[in-house]
Amino acid sequence: MLKTTPFHERTSALCASHAWRRWAGYVVASSYELSHEREYHCIRAAAALFDVSPLYKYLIRGRDAARLLDRVVTRDVARSQAGQVLYTPWCDAAGKVLDDGTVARLDEASFRMTSAEPSLRWLEANSIGLDLTVQDISESTAALSLQGPQSLAVLKALGDIPPLKYFRLARTQLRGIPVDVSRTGYTGDLGFELWVESAHALALWDALMEVGRDYGLQAAGMLALDVARIEAGLMLIDVDYVPAKKALIESQTSSPYELDLAWAVNLEKEQFVGKQALAAEKARGPAWQFVGIEIGYPGLERLYADVGLATRLPQAAWRTSVPIYSGAEQAGYATSGGWSPLLKKYIALAHLRSRWARPGTELDIEITVEHRRKRAAARVVKKPFFDPERKRA
Amino acid sequence: MKRYDVAIVGGGHNGLVCAAYLARAGKQVVVLERRERVGGAAMSEEVFPGFRFSVFSYVVSLLRPEIIRELDLPRHGLHILPLESTLTPLQEGGKAGEYLAQWNDHDQNRRELARHSPRDAEAYDEFGMELHQMARLIKPILAVAPPDPASLHPRELLDLARLARMFRNIEKRKFNALWRLLTMSSAEYLDAWFESEALKATKSASGIIGTMLGPRSPGTAYVLLHHYMGELDGVFRAWGFAKGGNGSVSAAIAAAALGFGAEIRTSAPVHEIAVKGGRAKAAVLEGGEEVEADIVVSGADPRRTFLGLVGEKHLPGEFVDSIRRFKFRGSSAKVNLALGELPDFTCLPGRGPHLRGAISISPSIAYLERAYDDAKYGEISRRPYMDIVIPSMLDPAMAPPGKHVMSVFVQYAPYHVNGGWTDARREALGDAVVDTIAGYAPNIKSAIVHRQVVTPADIERVVGLSEGNIFQGELSLQQMFFLRPAPAWARYRTPIDGLWQCGSGTHPGGGVMGASGRNAAVAILGGRA
Amino acid sequence: MSFHAIVIGAGVDALVAAHLLAGRGKQVLVVEERAPVAQDLGWVPPQVTGALGLELKADAPDPWITALLPDGGKLELWRDVRRTSESIRRFSDRDARRWPDFCRRMAMLARLFERLYLETPADPLNLRFALRVRGLGREGMVDLMRLLPMPVAELLDDWFECDLLKGALGAMGIYNIRQGPRSGGTAFRFLHHHVGSPEGVFRPPRTNLSSVLRQRPGVSFRAAEARKIRVNAGRADGVVLDDGEEIAAPTVISGADPKRTLLELADPGWLDPELARAIQNIRRRGVAARIAFDSSMKANIVLAPSLDYLERAYDEVKHGRVSERPYLEAHSTPLGTEVHLQYVPYLHDAKDDLAATARRVLPGLENAKVVSILRPADLEREAGWPEGQPYHAELTLDQALWMRPLPELAQYRTPIQGLWLCGPATHPGGGIAGAAGYNCAQAILRETN
Repeated sequence: MLKTTPFHERTSALCASHAWRRWAGYVVASSYELSHEREYHCIRAAAALFDVSPLYKYLIRGRDAARLLDRVVTRDVARSQAGQVLYTPWCDAAGKVLDDGTVARLDEASFRMTSAEPSLRWLEANSIGLDLTVQDISESTAALSLQGPQSLAVLKALGDIPPLKYFRLARTQLRGIPVDVSRTGYTGDLGFELWVESAHALALWDALMEVGRDYGLQAAGMLALDVARIEAGLMLIDVDYVPAKKALIESQTSSPYELDLAWAVNLEKEQFVGKQALAAEKARGPAWQFVGIEIGYPGLERLYADVGLATRLPQAAWRTSVPIYSGAEQAGYATSGGWSPLLKKYIALAHLRSRWARPGTELDIEITVEHRRKRAAARVVKKPFFDPERKRA
Repeated sequence: MKRYDVAIVGGGHNGLVCAAYLARAGKQVVVLERRERVGGAAMSEEVFPGFRFSVFSYVVSLLRPEIIRELDLPRHGLHILPLESTLTPLQEGGKAGEYLAQWNDHDQNRRELARHSPRDAEAYDEFGMELHQMARLIKPILAVAPPDPASLHPRELLDLARLARMFRNIEKRKFNALWRLLTMSSAEYLDAWFESEALKATKSASGIIGTMLGPRSPGTAYVLLHHYMGELDGVFRAWGFAKGGNGSVSAAIAAAALGFGAEIRTSAPVHEIAVKGGRAKAAVLEGGEEVEADIVVSGADPRRTFLGLVGEKHLPGEFVDSIRRFKFRGSSAKVNLALGELPDFTCLPGRGPHLRGAISISPSIAYLERAYDDAKYGEISRRPYMDIVIPSMLDPAMAPPGKHVMSVFVQYAPYHVNGGWTDARREALGDAVVDTIAGYAPNIKSAIVHRQVVTPADIERVVGLSEGNIFQGELSLQQMFFLRPAPAWARYRTPIDGLWQCGSGTHPGGGVMGASGRNAAVAILGGRA
Repeated sequence: MSFHAIVIGAGVDALVAAHLLAGRGKQVLVVEERAPVAQDLGWVPPQVTGALGLELKADAPDPWITALLPDGGKLELWRDVRRTSESIRRFSDRDARRWPDFCRRMAMLARLFERLYLETPADPLNLRFALRVRGLGREGMVDLMRLLPMPVAELLDDWFECDLLKGALGAMGIYNIRQGPRSGGTAFRFLHHHVGSPEGVFRPPRTNLSSVLRQRPGVSFRAAEARKIRVNAGRADGVVLDDGEEIAAPTVISGADPKRTLLELADPGWLDPELARAIQNIRRRGVAARIAFDSSMKANIVLAPSLDYLERAYDEVKHGRVSERPYLEAHSTPLGTEVHLQYVPYLHDAKDDLAATARRVLPGLENAKVVSILRPADLEREAGWPEGQPYHAELTLDQALWMRPLPELAQYRTPIQGLWLCGPATHPGGGIAGAAGYNCAQAILRETN
């Protein structure tokens, strides 16, 4: 049997589409309405509420808590302040990415870490000789993501929210429910993630939905989130990269440098898993880059017109591997893509060999039109595709 | 008197596979089987009216996918039904929920394991990947005819070099991991991955199948890997049940062989392999009929072949010593039950999907070790290890409607049991098995309509496997690969010109793989596997 | 004084390494907290005595062992192969005839290992190794391939019928490991203990290597405990003592067991966590107690009347118990009689029952006073042997040769630059006294020159 999140009683009642999918052994809604379109637009025009409880969460506490996290992740945890949240990858000893997630410093000696893959064993394997405890709070902590221009207003309607800077966290009460609010999210927009004891999950959901109505708040599913996160240029594990522990061959692995996460690798840190390998790779230069791709509309239009069809744009984001060429050579491959209703562009996230990865490079992406493989012109662009002021304001 | 290109002694699955490949290559082949049906230990029989048992071997996994494809076995009736799960009750008289199950679905499996240990749930995937990688590494070795490492013959040296290159290309880390798998005990190997006793024991158990070893005995990790090499529909470590029982595996292979023009003679027991001037001339049936062939291939085990059918006097002394030393200590028994109703396990009551999988009586490593300790000194395990499947849940035709057949594989029941395998001891084994099952599913006794107990002595007597060893010789490293069944004679040839061997007493060993039969055929045809 | 190398521990391997480096002009400091529990059993390779110019006293008892039967009978095994045949003939004519051939074939394999043990271990794909193995000839090659994975019980059952002979020999297959004679890999163990001994002698010699090394000048000594190995940017650069003093040196050699060295003394954060996990999983279970009796009994005896006797004793320890009928060896020392009693679980509480058992089964000890009883837990405390295992890592086939104690650590190097491991947990393993230290020192000298 699959697990249901603490919000299931509410989400299942709303799921008119019956479109569920699996996430970490849970069922979550792909969309609530029959189509995900409106849910997506809520993210950018009002407020959207996502159930992100299937994330794995760990509470790390003790004198050496920061030391453990510094051994594991590539960013500098010791220097973080209470209330700060770090987005970071972490690697194996070969410098290949195992997973990516957040490390939130709750206080001097406590951290909450989130991950896509279960990580208890890895944290414990790195804890030898350290004074701390690692607690798996994945099931006991429910999580929501409240995203969109009206998201702050929704929260304010529920309780006193201190001004929260980008990637900061506050411990507060919403309608009397103790909630951790972090200004984080996966949409590249103004938004917050809410961390609450599972026992209070439904109460929080009800409170949000009640006040949220006036601000256009809607429950939104994974299909909507996918479009937004691609616009934000954010990678997704198992789609945009293969976590090192699941890779069957070396070429399936990726280093942080190959995932556009060079900024998150702090080689000044004394030690962390993979440091030596990453230092060597930095010196060599990574073989691949992770970039944004814009597919040219005129070229695309022509391909369809040639067979007598109107331009077909994908109705939802895709998550398949699509080859990208430079002339006769394969330059790389896209792993996520779709039509951005906001930007009115066909965008994708792609891995390209370094020599073709510079923004502005002109390439071709494969498009299948009426059962035939064709190519459409595409251009390398910097990520994110969408980066509004309000995200950080 | 008709003369054949090839006469194959023994219609077990390897003999049939060998016949099919040779016939496909245009050879005039005859298979001579002692019993009235082919299949050897891979056979099905309606032991009681309406109830069909896979009397001896009872699951399919290791049957080489290339054999299934190349002989087009599905067209000849082979249909493999996957087993979905493994249920391990934690203790006798366990309450509902006191079990550990392994499911095929990743999420379902993880959730179940997390119930016992969140660490084990995490480690499981990595473990599976590791063994998958190891199985992939070993896979090419299955089709290699092991060269003689002491030979100076250019062809053997070339093959040795090729083998070395194959291994040298393996990444260091994987090579070391493989080496450890070859030398460790399954329990100690698993101790490094998991903490749940029931999980470790259930996995460990596949390391003791057909051996006279316990889970803490070094060498069992190899047997665990050996069983991991099974593939179904591209999935490693998948097990299935053949529709119609394991007899349909043999029947499909036999049909393929017949389709290629081979002849199969049943009720044709071979008494002797006639050797003249150092050359095999004919297979001589009981009653005197001589079946002449250019090449004689034996699918019987090495002891029966060389010390029985050929005779010491034709063989070099050193070779005879090696064959004498080749260990066969059978330790497995079967109890086949015809049931009027399904067993109801107290730990997971009712008719659920778990009954479509295997039920493993292996609550802990200590349980398995104690079972082994009993057998070491010649006793039947007081509390045996069991692997139970209910074929009728997947293939209703195996039993009358609403009724069932239950197949119980048991260890340890040593061939050399103190006092010998008398009828009384056979029944005592049956009783011990049923009593043990009753501890987990109390309704079993009243559900039993008929019972068949097969001891190692029965296996030897009926099928012809020496000492009832189901692998035609133990799968221990000291008699594997280069050394199976004897040093310098691991390439399916024998010291007798014109006599070849194709049973699982040769590389790569047993488990209804068919690999020995295929490799032998390839070697006979002059090719390199 | 500034040091080129600091050696942690003063076991024979650590001392050999220390003296070899000192002999090349290096300033070496040996840091050791405790006087070692005597571990004088083991062949000292001539390369070690030669390189250090050592003159050792080795005892070569004759008979090299006397195997006792519970009813009082005995079998003496002599250094002379023919004399032993005669001795065996009282029990089995067939075995007496086979004895010389057995000795010859075992000796041939032992000679191969004598060479292998004085080098950093190569893996089996290494051409030189392969050629060496081929150099054994067909019979030797087959013997080797069959013997390595075999249970010692199978090896001996193939050759002999006399239970007492098989028990006495089989004991060397299970000496100090948590396996029984029917376990795979024990024939390798048996062979390991034969390495360096003359043909027909299946017990390693005792020497005074340890005391000779301790008295040899050339290295500085400091009686202290190492609390930490200092690591900077992935390089070892010194040792911190228990009193806080820090001593710098570019090379640190640890004779302590791998887990203590890499997970306690050094900061495990420098290691690949997968390696750290593998180090935690190195099996190192001690299974023997040492009992010293105040007795003038002249003894060099073994109580192992059959392979099944040994196997049953092993069965008990699997379930956490001491056997009522344990495997025992006793030998005379200048201070009395020392008894090796196997199998004793690590967490065994009582002491007195062990002495009582020894007295019960060994004639001559009935009235002897117990001077000391060291159970595995006591040996851990007194001798620094992890879980009481004198070889620090069990010498089983998967923890031997190029995999000892782990493939990543088998060349004496550790992932921490400048930090080296030597000791019984490295190749070739305990019982080959000083060889690991010798190999380690050679590896260090090759790297630093």
